[in-house]
Order: sequence, then C-alpha cells, then structure tokens
Amino acid sequence: MDDTTLQVYSVLFVLATVVLVYTARYFGARRARRRAQRQIAGFDALPGWAEGAIESSRPLHLAFGSAGVGEDNTAVALAEAEFFHHVIQRVGAGDVSPIISTSAAATVPLGQDTLRRGWQRGGALTRTQWYPQGRRSIGYAAAVSGVIESERPSAHIFAGSFGSELALMIDSAARRGQGSLAVSDQLQGQAVAYAMADQALIGEELFAAASYAAEDGRAPADAMVMDVWRALLIMGMTVVLLLEVAKQMPWLSWPAVAVASLVLLGLGLLVYRRR
Amino acid sequence: MGRGQGVGAFFSALVAFAVGVTVMLSLLLGDNPALFGDRPGSDELARRIALPGDVLLRLIVIFLALSIVIGIANLLFVHVSRLTSGKFYSAVLLASFGFTIYWYVTRRGDTSLLEAVQLPIESALAALLFVSLVHGSSRVMGKRNDIWGLLFVAVVVVVLLASLPLAELAPVKAWSDWLMRIPVSAGVRAMLLGIALGMVVTGVRAVLGQDRSYRG
Amino acid sequence: MNEEFNWLEYSESVERAAAEAEENSGRRGLRRFLPGRPKLPRFPNILRRLKLPRLSRPRWPGLPSLPGLPRMPRLPGLRRKAQTQESVQPSTAELLGGQTNRPVEELDDRLRALRERSASGMMGAPPAPAPNQSLLDVDEVLVSPAFQQKPGGVISAVALTKAQQQQVEMLKDIVGGPLGTQESDGRRLPRPTSVFSLSALPRVLGTALLALFVSLPFVSSDFAEGELPPVEFDEDRNSATTFYNLLDNIARDDYILVAFEYGPAAAGELDMLAELLLRHIFAQRATPLIVSSNPIAVVHAQNIIREINRSLSDAHAPLTADEDYYLLRYLPGGALGLRELSENFGDIARVSARGQLTGLEFASLQEMTLMVLITDSAEDLRSWAEQVLPEVTDMQLLVATGFAAQPLAQAYADSVEGVMGPVYGMRDAYTYGEKLHANFSALDPSPPEQEPIVEPVQASDGADGATDSNAVSEPQIERDGPTALPAVSASPEATATSAATETSQPTSTSAPTDTPAPTATEATLLAVEVTSPQRVNIRRGPTTVDDVLALGYPGDLFEVLGTNGDGSWYQIALDNGLEGWVAAFLVEERVITASELAGEETNDSASLPRERAVMRLDFTFRLGKNQPRFYQAQAPAPGDRTELVLTRDRSQEVPRLQAMTLGTLAAVLVIVIGNLFYAARGLLRRRDSSGAR
Repeated sequence: MDDTTLQVYSVLFVLATVVLVYTARYFGARRARRRAQRQIAGFDALPGWAEGAIESSRPLHLAFGSAGVGEDNTAVALAEAEFFHHVIQRVGAGDVSPIISTSAAATVPLGQDTLRRGWQRGGALTRTQWYPQGRRSIGYAAAVSGVIESERPSAHIFAGSFGSELALMIDSAARRGQGSLAVSDQLQGQAVAYAMADQALIGEELFAAASYAAEDGRAPADAMVMDVWRALLIMGMTVVLLLEVAKQMPWLSWPAVAVASLVLLGLGLLVYRRR
Repeated sequence: MGRGQGVGAFFSALVAFAVGVTVMLSLLLGDNPALFGDRPGSDELARRIALPGDVLLRLIVIFLALSIVIGIANLLFVHVSRLTSGKFYSAVLLASFGFTIYWYVTRRGDTSLLEAVQLPIESALAALLFVSLVHGSSRVMGKRNDIWGLLFVAVVVVVLLASLPLAELAPVKAWSDWLMRIPVSAGVRAMLLGIALGMVVTGVRAVLGQDRSYRG
Repeated sequence: MNEEFNWLEYSESVERAAAEAEENSGRRGLRRFLPGRPKLPRFPNILRRLKLPRLSRPRWPGLPSLPGLPRMPRLPGLRRKAQTQESVQPSTAELLGGQTNRPVEELDDRLRALRERSASGMMGAPPAPAPNQSLLDVDEVLVSPAFQQKPGGVISAVALTKAQQQQVEMLKDIVGGPLGTQESDGRRLPRPTSVFSLSALPRVLGTALLALFVSLPFVSSDFAEGELPPVEFDEDRNSATTFYNLLDNIARDDYILVAFEYGPAAAGELDMLAELLLRHIFAQRATPLIVSSNPIAVVHAQNIIREINRSLSDAHAPLTADEDYYLLRYLPGGALGLRELSENFGDIARVSARGQLTGLEFASLQEMTLMVLITDSAEDLRSWAEQVLPEVTDMQLLVATGFAAQPLAQAYADSVEGVMGPVYGMRDAYTYGEKLHANFSALDPSPPEQEPIVEPVQASDGADGATDSNAVSEPQIERDGPTALPAVSASPEATATSAATETSQPTSTSAPTDTPAPTATEATLLAVEVTSPQRVNIRRGPTTVDDVLALGYPGDLFEVLGTNGDGSWYQIALDNGLEGWVAAFLVEERVITASELAGEETNDSASLPRERAVMRLDFTFRLGKNQPRFYQAQAPAPGDRTELVLTRDRSQEVPRLQAMTLGTLAAVLVIVIGNLFYAARGLLRRRDSSGAR
C-alpha cells in the first residue's frame, strides 16, 4: 500500500470515527440507562475502594505514570483524566482528597484540573504530585513508594503509562495492605499489572474506564464506538484470513469457504455476546 | 460539549477543535502532492497544507521542553506544603534539591553528583525491581487462583527456563519459541490494536471538543 | 505506627465471598457480576438490629437468603438512612451510622474523630463503651468459634446460610473489622509487614535465595552453570550477523546516530551491549551522535563513554566530547520529539546536551550513515520505526534491545524495511564482544599499506594467510559506508559456491580484475525482478502445489541460483537463507553489475529509477542477510583505534552471565514454590468451603 492510499484510508477512518462518535452519542443519549455494558471485574472493585477511602479517611492514589499531554500517549492521559474524574466524584463524600501523581510534567495541569473539577465539595485539595521524569522512570517509582509509606493511601489506581517499574509500586502497596488496580499502555507494564495488581484492566479497557466509572452510566459512546471498530476489525481479519487460506488451498471449494466463514462469524458473535 | 459551560469553555473547545483539525489535516494531506493529482500547483498546495501542522507541532515540542519548569515548581510547592505537616522525606527532598542547585552553580557542568548518587541509586532500585518482579510472580496464584493464573505462571516458567543456557532444556526452548512467536505475538498485537483504537476514539473526541476538560 | 483498615484484605475477602457465592449458585466467571444480584441491606439498618438486646441467637431477619455478591452500600444511602437516627454516641458504629443530616463542615470533624477513634481502637485502646460491645460481639454471637479459628473458611456451627455468612463477613469488613484489640483478634488487620515479622519470612527467604544465587559466581568459579554464548551468532540469526557487519562497514568520519532509549532500570542488561556498540564505532574512528528522548539516558551514555576512557591506558588519547562524540540535547515529547528529530535534524545537532553549540552543520538526517537504537522497550522501537525511519531513505536502523522487547523487535525486523537486528540481551552482547575482539585482535596490527577492503568471499575470521593473498587477487572496495558493495561473482554457479562462505577459500573464478575501484569490477549477478503487478508466491519447489515459502513484491530482486528443466521456474535465494522457486512468467531476468550495486556515490537515482534504487538496497540486504560475504567483518584500517576494542575489561563477563543463569534458576524456583503454595491454599479453601456446604 503506497503512501497516498494509506493517507486516504486514514482520512476515511477518522471521518468514520467522527460519524460513529456522534451516532453513538445520539443513540446513547436516548437509551443511556438501558445499555448494559460488559462486566469487567476490575471496575466492580471501584465502588468498594471509593467507599473504603471515604470511611477510612484516607486518600485514594491515582497515578498517570508517564502518560503525558502532548506526547504520543496524550490520548491515554486524556482518557485517564476522564476516568479519574469519575473516581474522584465517587470519593467526593469523604474528607481527604485523592492524590494524583505523574511523571510527565505536562500532565500536572491536567491532573490538577481533574482534581479540581471532580472534588466538588471544597475544602483542602491536594496538589498533583510530579516526580521526575519520563518513561519507565525509576525515580518516579521510588517517589510513589515514598508516598505509599507517608500518605498511606487506601488504594491505588495505576492507569496510564508504566513500564516494569510498576512492580516496585504495586509491591510496595501490597506490603502495606493497599489494594491496586493497574493498567498500562506499555506492554511490560501491562504484564506486571496483570501479574501483581489486585485488579487489572487490559488493552482498550484503559479507554473505556470512564464509562464504567461514571456513576450515572453516561459517556458510553466511546466504548460503543470502540466496540464497533473492534468488531469490524475482527470481521475484516477473519475474512482476510479465510481468503488467504482459500488461496493456499486451491482444492478448497468456495461453498466450503463460505460455510466456514459463516461458522466462524457465528462463533465470534456468540463469544462476543456471551461476554 | 456538555451542559453548563460558559463562554470560556466554549472558546477552549473551539480552539481545541481548530488546532486538532488543522494538525490532523496537515498530517493526513500535507507533504503528499500525489493526493492532489497532477495539477501544476499540487506541490505548493501540499506544502502549504503541511505548514500549519508543522508549526503547531513544533510549538508543542517547545511547550513540552518548558513543561519541566512546571514540574519543578510543582515539586517544590508540594513538598514545601508537606513540610509543614512534618513529612521527613519532603525535608530530605528539598535539602537535596537545594544542595544540587548549589553544586551545579558552583561547579559548572560537573555531572559527578549525578553519576555518584543518582545512577547508583537508580541502578540499585532496578535491582530491587528484579526482586519485586520475582516476588510478584510468585504470588500470581494467590491473586488469580484459576486457570488463567496457572497459564500465566506456566508461561513465565517456560520462558524463563528457555532463557537458560542449559543443553537439557532444549525442548523447553522449542516451546518457548513457539509461545513467543505465535500466542504471545498475537496477544501483543491484539492489545496494541485495542490501545490504538482507543487512542483514535479518544483523540477524535478531544478534537471534537467532547472532552470533559472543556466543560465548565 | 497505627493499624489501619486493610483494604487488600478487604478486597480479598470480597473475592472470597464472591467465589463462594459462585459455588453456591453455580454462576461462574463474569456472570457472577451480572446485574440482578441481591443487595445487602444498608448497614445502619443492620446496626440498629444488632443493638437489639435479644439478638442472642443468630438471626438475620433483614437478610435475603438469595446468594450472590453483596453490593457495598453507598454512602449517600448511609446518609439518608441515618437521618432518622440520633448520633450522640461517640462510638465508631454510631459515627458510621450517624453520618446524617450533615452540615458539611460538621462532617469533617466527625469523620476525623471516627478515624482517630477507630485507629486507637485497633491499637488496643481501652475497651469501647457499651453500645460498641454488641458490635464487638458479632463474631461470638453470630458465628461459632470455628469461624474465628479458620480465617476464610466460613464454617457455621449454627444455622446461618452461606449467603448470610458472607454478609456477616461483609458487615465486619464494613465496620472496619472486629473492633477488638490487637491481642484478642489480630487476624484481620495485620501490620504492614516488617522485615522481622513472620509473614515477611517467605519474602525474606526468597530475596536471600535470589541474592545468594546471583552472587555465587562472583565468589567462586565452582558455580559455573550453563554454557557460554557462542562466539558467532547462530546461523539462523542472519539479521544479528548483518547488524554486526553493517556496523563494521562504517568508515572513518562517518556519523552514526546512536539513540540511547533506556534508563537505569535496564542498565544491567543493556550497558554492556551499549558499550560494545560505542567501542565498535569509536574504534573505526566514526563519530557517534548520541540522542535520547530520556534526559537521564543522555547522562548515562556519557557515563559509559567515561568508563571507556578509564579503560584506556595513558598512552592512548581519551575520547573527548564534541570531538570524538557528540551528546545532543534531549528530545522532549516522545514521538513528537522524534518527529522533530527527523524533520529538523540540523537544529537538533547544533546544540549539545549541555546547551553548548556543537559546531555540527547537517542539512538533514540523511547525512547519517547509520542509526543505532538501543532500547529496552518495544514502544520506543515503534516510535523510531514510525517517526524517523520513513523520513530517511536508504538508511538502516540497527536495533539492540532487552530480552523483553525482543519478540516485537524481531517482528519489526522481519517486516519493516530498514530495521535490522535485533541484537538483544546479555548473551548477544557477549557474542558481539567476542566477535569484535576476535576481529580486532586477530588482524592487528595490520600492514600500513593495506587498504581497508571487503573481500567478497572471505569470511570474517579469515586466517592471516588468506588476507595476504586476497589483498591482491580479490576485487577490492573502499570502505566508504554501509552501502559500499563489493563486486559480485561472475556467475550464478560461482555465487552458489561462495555462498557457503568457506573460510580462507577464495573463489578464484570470481576474481575478475585487480582493479580496486568498484566501478571497474564488472562482475555480474544474474537476478530476477518481480514484474507481476501483484505479489507473487515463492514456493519450495517448482510446482504450484509446493508450499509457499515467501512472497515477492513488484520490483523485488532475487538472485538466481538455477532453473528447472524447461526454464519455466527460477530457483532463487531468499533472505532467510532458504532457496525458493518462482514461476518464470512472473519475473524478468536482470543482469546486475557490480557498479550498479556498488555505485551508490556515482550514479544512483540518475541511472536507476527510484524504485530500483530502493530495491537495489533491498537486494543488498537480501544478499547481505543471506550470504555474509557481502558484509563481512573487516580488517581494521590503519587509522582505526583498535585499542578502544582491545582494552575492554572482560573479566566480569563470564561471572555475570553465570550469575544471570543462576539468578534465573533461583527466580524459577521462587516462582514455582510460591505459586504451588498459593495454589494449594486455594484448593484447600475451596475444599473447606465445599465441605462446609
């Protein structure tokens, strides 16, 4: 595929996404309440943690990691800010405002803004804490371990961009009996999150987090659009795969390919619906 | 855009929209005259379309380079305020901050402090990371006492064993190669695809001014 | 240190309760989270009930008997429920239940008081007043002593149903565990593990085991476990060999862009490789330009160079900044920074990491000879491959990674044009070091008149005698960069024989002239170019039913090894060392001359169409990967600073590798034992709970 074709496809893809986002908003607004989202264990723990934070009068720790505004993981930072916003609203009844930490300096204003908007009840607001600097920062991990020791958060949500240094933080939290939910857009961080955190999200759940955390069930439009794209992607890949297989096996008749594709599609749909 | 936003929120959404669309169009359409056919002015057109995006991106890079100042100011504010509540670590942090500034001002460009203190400490922490990772992996079944936990541990053990240079483990190496080549690689791509989709959707939403940050 | 509400324990107990609920109801997996599960009555209600004096027998009139994971009550609910309640009692329970009709400013104080009280209560403060007592007695009243003795195994001596027991558990969690003293019931609220506590024992033992295993090889050589890495890259890793050879084909005064994209966390794994790559570059008097999107990494690179300088004896001039190497300013903004690098390289090269002018003037990144990326993460590789590589043509990105990033790096190297490698981890570093050392020590000192050459059929570790004979009889190519190509052999047959790369076996048939200039060496190579407008299958045999080995794309060039009987299929060489067959009607024969291949600096885009220029490069690498004769380790040139390679301290390498082996073994041991323990515990718990049912 040459550059021009690729660019044309990119434009079409983005435009289609725009249309989908608006469509999903429209339909989402009409039946916001009735829409049932797939259950994700990680999010089911959130209400408990929020209440735990309130009742123990201890802060919740929300970490962006190195997800930075202006960098290639800006979208991660924005999605997590939205997620944290809802989490902060949930703990808004307590008297200790959550702690937000980041290792990307440009995320500090975003974090503070998230805190300010989410923390509606007034009173002492903590400052977003920045520790130097950048991706896979061991310094950041060490500083967060210090926060875990000195501020005694009730639980941690590590959602953003982390490398393997996430292990230091989760381990530190676990030793003090503090729960953790973790997800990262970096593969090593994701592996650590799965292995060590009490709850882990995977892949695009990172971006759907806001719609799960929202108490009023709003904002599922993104999740819907992602679902649509993903379904299309899976179907496309399946079709291409089948075509390839058919090409490699000239003796394979077209009816057989058609039946196989239908069966596969059906299976896929079944799995998708069952989740 | 949500409810209850004021004029400021409207304008910030508008700016975001304008900047977002400009950069997107510049990146998508700029620098490729082929998109505009064979007309004589297509080169110039493509270059013009690319220009605003380039300028904006360079501005962002400059802003990012300056953002470290925000970070340092934040670090100081946070720890000065924590100092009043008697946090020992904050005192240490501020003291070392002051000392480092003094060091660099008095011995211009001398990075020995960095080498003698920061790098060894970070390396030591990296070694601790190994312990943390092993310890964490040893507790996987405690957290996920199911087939997935078992699978995870099994794969970890197979891959670790396969990395050992022992002739007896040759068959394990074959499994590990297969694991890495097919299931792991497939899983990794699936995850990356999911993340990429999420990024596109979130990006589009931000460009459309639907992000919460624009609401009042 | 205050005892605190342990939310890890809490979440574990929730999970446990959920698991039991699952067993009860037969709902498995995520279904247990499906909506429609019963809710626990809001607990102020329960608290009120608990305070009833006649609650001497376990009775839960308010509790539904349906199983399922009880949902935590929401605080707003608490507020509403408790509005009818007076909150004059200072007890924790009262306070919790009495968070009502709150003027907001009052709430803070009370919640604060609650925290202090609950904290002091947990630390063994004087017994709580009477109303609290009923709460304290939850265990005794509701559940048999067995309950207390078996944490997690909810065994009922009385007529509580499973669901009720879970709810008791929940209730206790909600109110912060039994408010007994530490002595009376410490099981729910362990202290954060101190090094000396029993619960930290497994951790301490595991750590000690790891430390012991890792340090043993440094103490004694009796613990040498495992085989050392080979001194040459394995045959199936042509890409690693190409990596080495490319870096060995750079020339004096070439500029190499070296990206340090790893921090201290990966220093242990990548430092050795990074040092070797730098030494390799320095030894050939090429100049590395070091960039990074991580500020610490730039300093780290400087540290490595300082180490190299320390290893040099006084007789040798140390490497100096802004002369032998350049540390460029760090690139903020991740991928955006890399984009900036590829588009405005001139600006970036002008300023050093210390903010001083470097005096370097480049028009574009294109003036680099090679790019080397040293990274511990696949994400960085992705950024480089997406942001930088497309902006340059005919340039290779050599990738050195950590073990963890290797699978994805390999995928990139296999599929993305221009990505070479990966060389990864400490074992490859050892192999690289051995290759480097062998190359520079065996052929040093070289005769001063000997020009740096590439011998087309000479293997890298050629014997001394061979170099002499080849120096005169073989076609010679100036060392003028990675794309400088030697002459190619005259016929496909000769190619086939030389492909075996037999050491010190010069193929005299293919030695056309004595002329050193590549353009004069009109040796040719028979190749086929894919002319089909679509990609073509390359098969294992000359029939359409044979397996497809690879795909050829329009414009691809492949070296011809032979044809089938009627000439309808060509046998061609593939870049992965295999031979394949392609149908003749899909391709056209091309005779490639050495000047076409090697004449990068003379003609290039002028004489070859653009596609061809790119494909020629591609071809180069197909051959390079396939038949190392085109890219061989070279003899050091007269100006090379071989001491930069030879002074390397190699005494710690072997113990480090052995320590890695033993450390990995210890890690496996710890992981297996730990998980066996937890798996067994899980099984026991399950059996307990099913037994109780």
